[in-house]
Amino acid sequence: MAKSDDLAGIIAGCKQGEAQCFSQVVDRYSGRCYGYFYRLTGNNDISDELLSELFVKFVEKIGSYKGGSFEGWLFKIASNIFHDHLRSKQRRKKLLETQKTLLESEVIEFRQSDGEQIDRLQKQLGRLDRDTKELITLRFYSQLSFKEIAQVRSEPIGTTLAKMHRGLKKLRLLMEG
Amino acid sequence: MEDRNRENLGELFGKFFDAEQVDSCLKDLQEAERIFRDNPAPEPDDMLIANIKAEIAMRLPARRVQLARQRTYKRVAVAAAIVVIAGLVVTILNDGKPAPGRLEVASLIPTAIWESNDIEADDENLAALAAEIEQIENEVMTLESGRDTGDSDRTIEELEIELIVVSSDFWKE
Repeated sequence: MAKSDDLAGIIAGCKQGEAQCFSQVVDRYSGRCYGYFYRLTGNNDISDELLSELFVKFVEKIGSYKGGSFEGWLFKIASNIFHDHLRSKQRRKKLLETQKTLLESEVIEFRQSDGEQIDRLQKQLGRLDRDTKELITLRFYSQLSFKEIAQVRSEPIGTTLAKMHRGLKKLRLLMEG
Repeated sequence: MEDRNRENLGELFGKFFDAEQVDSCLKDLQEAERIFRDNPAPEPDDMLIANIKAEIAMRLPARRVQLARQRTYKRVAVAAAIVVIAGLVVTILNDGKPAPGRLEVASLIPTAIWESNDIEADDENLAALAAEIEQIENEVMTLESGRDTGDSDRTIEELEIELIVVSSDFWKE
C-alpha cells in the first residue's frame, strides 16, 4: 500500500513537471520496459531506441493519465510504440525492396547485432507467432493482471486467456524440446 | 484496477475452461514464470538511462510553458463563460419589464430645469426655443383645422425646415 501511495506521489510530481519524479519513474520502470522491448525485438540497439521513445512519450502524455493502473497505462504506450516500430520497419522494408539496395540486410526481422548472444528463451519466443509472443511478454514484464492485459489489448478477457493458454503450452514444449 | 497479486487465477480460468484445462493453465503459467526468471532479459545500459534522464530534463521547460499556456487558456475560457452566463442571467431577469423609453432618456436632463415651471426665466435659449415650438404648434393647429388659406404643401415644407432648424439649434446650445 505504501508503495502505491509512494507511486501516486511520484506521478503527482511528474504532473507538476518535477525532474526528480520523472527520474524516479525511469529508475523504477526502465528495467521492466527494456525487458519487454528486448523480448519483442531481440535487439539491444532497437530496445535502447524504443525505451528512450517510451520515456519521451511519457513526459508528453503524463497530463492525460487520469488514474487507474499506472503500469497498464505505461505499457499501453510501450505496446503502441512497439507497433509503430513494426509499421515503420515494414515501410522501410518495402522501400528497400523496391530500391534493391544492399541495406536490405539491416531490416531482417530481429537480427542480432554482432557478438550478441541469443538466450534460449529469446530463441523459443521467436518461434511463437508475434501476437502470442507479445501477450506472454506483456504478462511477464508489465506485471499486469489478465483483466488489465485484456484492457490494454482492447480484447475480451476470454480471448486473452485462450491465447495465453495456447501460447504457454507451446512455449513450455519448445523449452523442453 | 485488479492487482495481479490478488487475482484468483483458478477462479478466472474456471470461467472459461474446464477443471482439467484450468490445472494445465496454472501449471503452464508457473512454468513460464520460472523460465522468465531463469532467463532474465538484459538490463538497460547506465549510459542509456543517463541519456534518457537528460532528454527528459531538456524537455521539461517546454512542457512547463505548455502547461502554463493550457492553464491560461482554461482561465480565459472560464472567464468568457462567466461573462456569457452573466449576460444571459441579466437578460432573463429583465425579461417582462418594460423597455427603457423616453422617460429614462429625458431623465438625463437636470431635474431642476426639467421640473421648473419658469423655464423662460432660467434659460434665455430655452425661452426662444419654447416660443418657436409654440409658433409651430399654432401653425400645425391651423393646418389641422383647415383654416389655412395658402398653399398647404408649401406650408408643410416650411414647417419641416423650421423643425430641422429648431432641432439643430437645440443641439448646438
